[in-house]
Amino acid sequence: MKKTILILSFIAITGALFAQKKTTTSAIVKFDASTKIDDLPKAENKTVIAALNTETGAIAFEASVKNFAFTNPMIQDHFNGGNWMNSDKFPSFTYKGTITDLSAVNFTKEGTYKVSTEGTLTVKGVDQKITAPATIVVKGTSIVASADFSIKLSDFGITGAPIDAGKVAKEPKISVNAVL
Amino acid sequence: MSQQTIKRNPWRKRILVSVLILAVAVAGIYWYVATEKFSDTKDRKAAYTVNALDFIREFQQDDSAANMKYREKIITVNGRVSALEAPDTSTVNVKFVDTTTGSYIIFAFQDTHLAEGKSLKTGDTVSIKGSCSGGTYSDILEVTKIDFKRAALNK
Repeated sequence: MKKTILILSFIAITGALFAQKKTTTSAIVKFDASTKIDDLPKAENKTVIAALNTETGAIAFEASVKNFAFTNPMIQDHFNGGNWMNSDKFPSFTYKGTITDLSAVNFTKEGTYKVSTEGTLTVKGVDQKITAPATIVVKGTSIVASADFSIKLSDFGITGAPIDAGKVAKEPKISVNAVL
Repeated sequence: MSQQTIKRNPWRKRILVSVLILAVAVAGIYWYVATEKFSDTKDRKAAYTVNALDFIREFQQDDSAANMKYREKIITVNGRVSALEAPDTSTVNVKFVDTTTGSYIIFAFQDTHLAEGKSLKTGDTVSIKGSCSGGTYSDILEVTKIDFKRAALNK
């Protein structure tokens, strides 16, 4: 009886260890709205918070809008301004979602796994459903999660002359990379 | 007739030259603004110099006031390195953490100063200067975090 309890306890503890919430404060999100006319509207944020629950497949990101670093001061000002991200009022981008085919990943076995994700991206206070393929790489004790997708700026109420003039892409590319 | 032509031509020329000068000036200003890049943070003067833990507490006590005061300004922060995070070869983030609350300051180093950031070790007492992006509360970690971009070691 004691032996059974011991074995069950061991299984429970081992399971709990593997099914933990993994987080990082240094995920990288890249934003690329450059066009043939203008190469400047692109930036990256290297201090994004990311979380992955290996048991439920829940994933989440939080990025400070003002920490997207552009090379050009004018473009950075426009990005944060009232017509664009209005970052004084809406200081964060957030994403909450799940890996929809979690059974495709074995977090205890090294390898590269292609998965599907779906969730809600909140930009400028507007929620939009996002579905995107993602890649999970399990190596040693670390998990690297990455995804590439694009968003429609108009879905988030972001419009303006530079977009109409083709100086800013209507559907910027977003790439996410998190070492958890 | 010829006198009239003589009288008109100088004005046309003047207007044309003025328009041309104006166009060149506008193009020059646009070119300058469009190709301008952020200067080296190391060469910029800090608006404030603060102690890391006091700085974190200021945001925890009143984040609106702290954001109004520090956001988008160059700040020098003195503190002890709690962690170094380098998710890829082109990135090094340095953290000062308030161990009592878990709230933290994180500095993403400017590309030209990556080597400086990578030379640091946990426990080092350092002075870091960077562009403050402000503080926000993280629902994921349930702590206050203050982001900096284009950071460099202070001279």
